[in-house]
Amino acid sequence: MLQVEGVMKSFDGFMAVNGANLTVGKGEIVAVIGPNGAGKTTLFNLITGTLRRDRGRIVFKGEDISELPPYEICKRGISRSYQIVNIFPRLTVFGNVQVAVLSHQRKSSNLFRPAQNIAVEETRRILESVGLLNKEKSIAGSLSHGDQKILEIAIALGNEPELLILDEPTAGMSPEETSATMELVRRLAKTRGLTILFCEHDMDIVFSVAQSIMVMRYGQTIIQASPEEVRNNKEVQEAYLGGE
Amino acid sequence: MTFGGAELICQLLVGISRSMILFIVCAGLSFVLGVLRVPNIAHGSLYMIGAFATFSITKMFAGSTGFWIALILAPLLVALVSLIAERALFQHLYQREHLMLLLFTFAISLILGDLVKIVWGAEYKSVSAPALLKGSISLLGASFPRYNLFLILIGPLVAIALWLFTIKTKIGKISRAAAVDREMVGVLGINVSWVFAIAFVIGCYLAGVGGALVAPTVSITLGMDHTLIIEAFLIVIIGGLGNMWGALVGSLIFGITHSFGVLFWPQFAIVFPYIAVVIVLLLRPKGLLKSVW
Amino acid sequence: MFERMIRSNWFVPITVILIILFLLPIAAPRFYVYILALIYVTALLAMSLNMVVGHGGMFQFHHAVFYGVGAYTVALMLTKTKLPLWVGFIAGPLVAAITGLIIGWFCVRLTRLYFGMLQISLGSLIWAIVFRWYSFTGGDDGIHGVSMPSFLSSLNHSYYFILVVFLICLVLMYMIFRSPFGSTLQAIRDNAQRCEAVGINVRLYQLGGIVVATFFAGVAGVLFVVLERSVFAEMLFWVLSLEIFIMCLLGGWFTFAGPILGAAMIVALRTFVGKYTEYWTLILGVILILVIFFLPEGVMGFFQDLLKPASKELSERGR
Repeated sequence: MLQVEGVMKSFDGFMAVNGANLTVGKGEIVAVIGPNGAGKTTLFNLITGTLRRDRGRIVFKGEDISELPPYEICKRGISRSYQIVNIFPRLTVFGNVQVAVLSHQRKSSNLFRPAQNIAVEETRRILESVGLLNKEKSIAGSLSHGDQKILEIAIALGNEPELLILDEPTAGMSPEETSATMELVRRLAKTRGLTILFCEHDMDIVFSVAQSIMVMRYGQTIIQASPEEVRNNKEVQEAYLGGE
Repeated sequence: MTFGGAELICQLLVGISRSMILFIVCAGLSFVLGVLRVPNIAHGSLYMIGAFATFSITKMFAGSTGFWIALILAPLLVALVSLIAERALFQHLYQREHLMLLLFTFAISLILGDLVKIVWGAEYKSVSAPALLKGSISLLGASFPRYNLFLILIGPLVAIALWLFTIKTKIGKISRAAAVDREMVGVLGINVSWVFAIAFVIGCYLAGVGGALVAPTVSITLGMDHTLIIEAFLIVIIGGLGNMWGALVGSLIFGITHSFGVLFWPQFAIVFPYIAVVIVLLLRPKGLLKSVW
Repeated sequence: MFERMIRSNWFVPITVILIILFLLPIAAPRFYVYILALIYVTALLAMSLNMVVGHGGMFQFHHAVFYGVGAYTVALMLTKTKLPLWVGFIAGPLVAAITGLIIGWFCVRLTRLYFGMLQISLGSLIWAIVFRWYSFTGGDDGIHGVSMPSFLSSLNHSYYFILVVFLICLVLMYMIFRSPFGSTLQAIRDNAQRCEAVGINVRLYQLGGIVVATFFAGVAGVLFVVLERSVFAEMLFWVLSLEIFIMCLLGGWFTFAGPILGAAMIVALRTFVGKYTEYWTLILGVILILVIFFLPEGVMGFFQDLLKPASKELSERGR
């Protein structure tokens, strides 16, 4: 479904991503791992159009999306959540998700109907599926960090994506929250038929959830393979696992 | 309409001389913007206070000495006012967002505007140039006011002084560093609060210098702050925020387009600088020279 | 929907206020009627600014231009052409919105302070032209004695006309505020980057917000001509733009009705304090400083926060 081919990106001469390759098949859960500064977040920013790649190709469902702006890429079925909480702090929890749902249903430009009557069902259903329905009227900025991270995912679901990209979905969470969140991600993948691409620091999570793992170092892809193969790969052990 | 070469050159020089006053004011505004991140609308009011103070001080002395004394004292008075404002009010607000700071400085400018009205009244004031700078000299057959020549000389002096200040003195270096990275300066164990205060006062002092220098060339009136500050902001933006040389380039663009506007289409002379600004901003939205932001 | 309106706890106070406002010209002295009408005009202008700034998060520094353009359009059409009145009344807001579209088209490519600076320079360009084009706009003298038809001849008639238009605009703006478009704009204000990521063409929506807001600013301009029969170049000067900013600040950025309160405060201050002292801007300046120090969410925002502890907590976290 998604192919990243030899993508490069530099900032003022620093090669943040220097030849990344990635394949994500439909329905797969794929993880990207690598030490800090390996270029994981930059790669996600390139896929979602937040940054524009210098070289290489990003193909989604057979279409080259590497020149498209973020909102166009989103419309083609890619949604993402962020490592650092990136929500609408002054809107309610409901409002946060509704913005995405309205955008997905192409109703954002409606000028005169009250928003409170539009896309309510869909928004509530998403909030229910992530377990935030009881907090729908709270102002998003006042939620706990864990809930804000969940809200991140909920906003991304509002666009009913085919491919969901999660940038460290459990960053800053307690162990209990972490396992609950990963359970949620797994369930979402199953019930919604989502394809998921994520990156994560906790190796236990990665190896238990992911079906395929891509390892990055210095902005380069070392390998993409099944968890078994990655675990046994010499280069990966040296570069990453052994180093810890 | 045809113009002789001498007239064109004269008009160019008039434009440059006006630019010098703009430059001195804008360099101060830009400095404050760069170091403190404060878009200071009250800068225009300080300029106005500089001009009114020059009027009062000049009147206190007989002959030409008054103006020269005013040129020293008026900016110092302005610096004092700004120091009080900084210590009493500004220093508590540096963390606020730009929009709040903008409105806050506008509030200060409202207060200063009315204080000027209370102290000096609402009538026009004028200052005559000292005897040494009165009259005109002959330049390529056209006459050119001596005072404008004086301005053309003094502008580069201020530029060089400011430049030396930022690269040679400790305070200058610290404020330059603060413009680029504020946390860094705090980490070095420098009292940031006083660095900011000094930088603010220096910026405002320049507004006072500009006000004193402009006094003999215009009628000093309430509202001169409003006209000036908008021009000053645009100049600072087209030059590059916080960049002193940018302020110089921006001032020259503004002053010269205006003076040629006067020559070719006087009725719409004030439109030309705005057109120039718009063109620059459309081509280079972040200014011609490097911005420190 | 109507039923819900009646059941809402705002229904009674709003109805009472409306009845008072409609009956007022019968009893009140002319001067107060005039001041109230001026408050409506100014409030409409401030609310239109708040749409872009408070709800849209854009630095529309020079909003007064569109007010001026709307006013000048109708004044010029009524004095220089034989076109019927209503054409001018429609043209005013439309020309303002088109001006907004053109200026906004350049500005939305930039963000924050740079947006604001480009906006203020384009606006000042228009001001400079109006200010100097004596033969067409009257220059700094403005245009005076714009004649109005008989149904707007007396102050009371103008008052009712202005009140009705103001109320219609208020309802429309409220609908927009609550609409998907309005909530999308507020989302852009909160977090433009995230909006792009959920498939929203941020610049397009910002431009849309500007066009709608400048349209209402144009309406305010038309109403000003109805009330004053004159236009001045000062209407396009940046000082007025900052004044309306202050109204939004005083009332509260993030509220819907805050700017009405802010506009009423400023107009009342200028009128009633201005009677006793010519230094009313000094008092305004002091009030502003106090608000900035102690009520950064504005007066209306402050009271809303008192009512809603949750949002108060947020505003403190946000700082």
